[in-house]
Amino acid sequence: MANNSKNIEVKNLQVWYGPVHAVKGIDLSIKGGSITTILGANGAGKSTTLKALAGGVKYTGSISVGDEIIDALPVHKRVEKGIVLCPEGRGIFYSMTVKENLLAGAYRNKKVDYSSVLDIFPVLKDRINQIAGTLSGGEQQMLAIARALMSNPSYLLLDEPSLGLAPVIIQKIAEVIKRINSSGITVVLVEQNTSLALSIANYAYVLENGKVALHGVPSDLLKSDVIREKYLGGVAK
Amino acid sequence: MMNQIILGLSTGATYSLVAIGLVMMYKVSGVMNFAYANMGMFVTYLIWWLATGAGVNLYVSIAIGIAFAAVMGVVVERYGLRPIRHLSHASMLIVTFGILMILEGLAMQIWGTDYKAFPELVTGAPYVFRGDFGIFVLRRQDILIFSILIAVSIALLIFTRYTKFGIAVRAVSENEETAGYMGINVGSVLAFSWGFGASMAAVVGIVAAPKVFVSPTMLTYYQIQGFTAAVLGGFETFTGAVFGGLILGVIEKLVGNYISEGFKATISLVIIIIVLIFFPKGLFGRNVRGRV
Repeated sequence: MANNSKNIEVKNLQVWYGPVHAVKGIDLSIKGGSITTILGANGAGKSTTLKALAGGVKYTGSISVGDEIIDALPVHKRVEKGIVLCPEGRGIFYSMTVKENLLAGAYRNKKVDYSSVLDIFPVLKDRINQIAGTLSGGEQQMLAIARALMSNPSYLLLDEPSLGLAPVIIQKIAEVIKRINSSGITVVLVEQNTSLALSIANYAYVLENGKVALHGVPSDLLKSDVIREKYLGGVAK
Repeated sequence: MMNQIILGLSTGATYSLVAIGLVMMYKVSGVMNFAYANMGMFVTYLIWWLATGAGVNLYVSIAIGIAFAAVMGVVVERYGLRPIRHLSHASMLIVTFGILMILEGLAMQIWGTDYKAFPELVTGAPYVFRGDFGIFVLRRQDILIFSILIAVSIALLIFTRYTKFGIAVRAVSENEETAGYMGINVGSVLAFSWGFGASMAAVVGIVAAPKVFVSPTMLTYYQIQGFTAAVLGGFETFTGAVFGGLILGVIEKLVGNYISEGFKATISLVIIIIVLIFFPKGLFGRNVRGRV
């Protein structure tokens, strides 16, 4: 897998959905090689921020990778830059086989190599010719991540990979994310499952109403009363 | 009876070709192209004019015509539909209606409303087979249409199963947004689907023209029947389009022969209604159950 340790800098990111101001000026600094998580409630602007990084929504402000500003690049060109988004709700191509899904993920590659991805997800190896719509929820999430990895990204943007999955599967996914990261891929993780995200991340941003409310390393955030009350469901005292 | 079925299959094969084009455009862009028949009509006029008026070799004219159709499809999608993709489905449908009328008006302005004879691609006596089954007749035109349908079907099968761009076409048809995140250039897939669809319309025009003559409304009936064929097949798969067309062709022929020619068109509308009531996904529609 490619190891690209350049940082991603986001400056004054703003996104409008028609009259709705979804993201109201966000600055992020995503360190190359890290797992950075973006937390927040529903509608805080997490997914929108992630989509802006991948080029999937129109935005103002600037996003740069290393020294290069990538604002002008459309979504498929950003994949060439190594930025791949694994969308919320997985976005599996249901009527296609597992193999065809993976092939679609490798669309930009000249050579298609299934083996390194299937090493991480052995469960997909047994189901390679199965129609993706017949996989279980956990397997579909694995497939979505595997498909995103097929293009050998430098940056993997994960939008709520734990959504709708059983705790035991969520644990597996957390391990997979750590493993992907240890191979040199920078991971940006959007999550509602705050404890999961904080347990694996190197740095965290908390969004509220389209703005960054808090940021810091997880150990500091875990000490914060606001985080514990609002996002971890615990009473802080 | 046997000969009726063969004739029906031959007409049906043309409907299949119509349906394949419609399904390709619908699958990828989500738009039912009402201008389909008139795109084919306009290109057929162009080929007729090149071959008979400008003295270009017929086969060269056909090649130019099909290339022109592909470009027309791409241009219509890129500049007519894509700018309003984010609005609504209905607005895109209305654009295709507009193009339908523009092409019809243009054809009338340029070439008038007289019927023009289109040169036959294949001529010669039909093949006649005699045997225990009785006599059955195979016209050369039928063989041509079957060959085109078989070639297109096989090409599509290989394209959508084994080529990367074919996989990309299926990916876009299923989930445009995710396909983009995978690095697929959604715009070029959309353009391709319309380019392909319009060239199919041209092919239909070429094979139908010797029979129906060249006129501004020459393909209208084919569009309706192609649409019925696509509905029969579930409007999602090319297999459905092919078999939907063949089945419809045979039904239509049998109805025309044993009941009344006048019922031919009615019957296809009745079929649409029945199929939609009892098989909302079409006779060949795949029921893909996705788990949430």
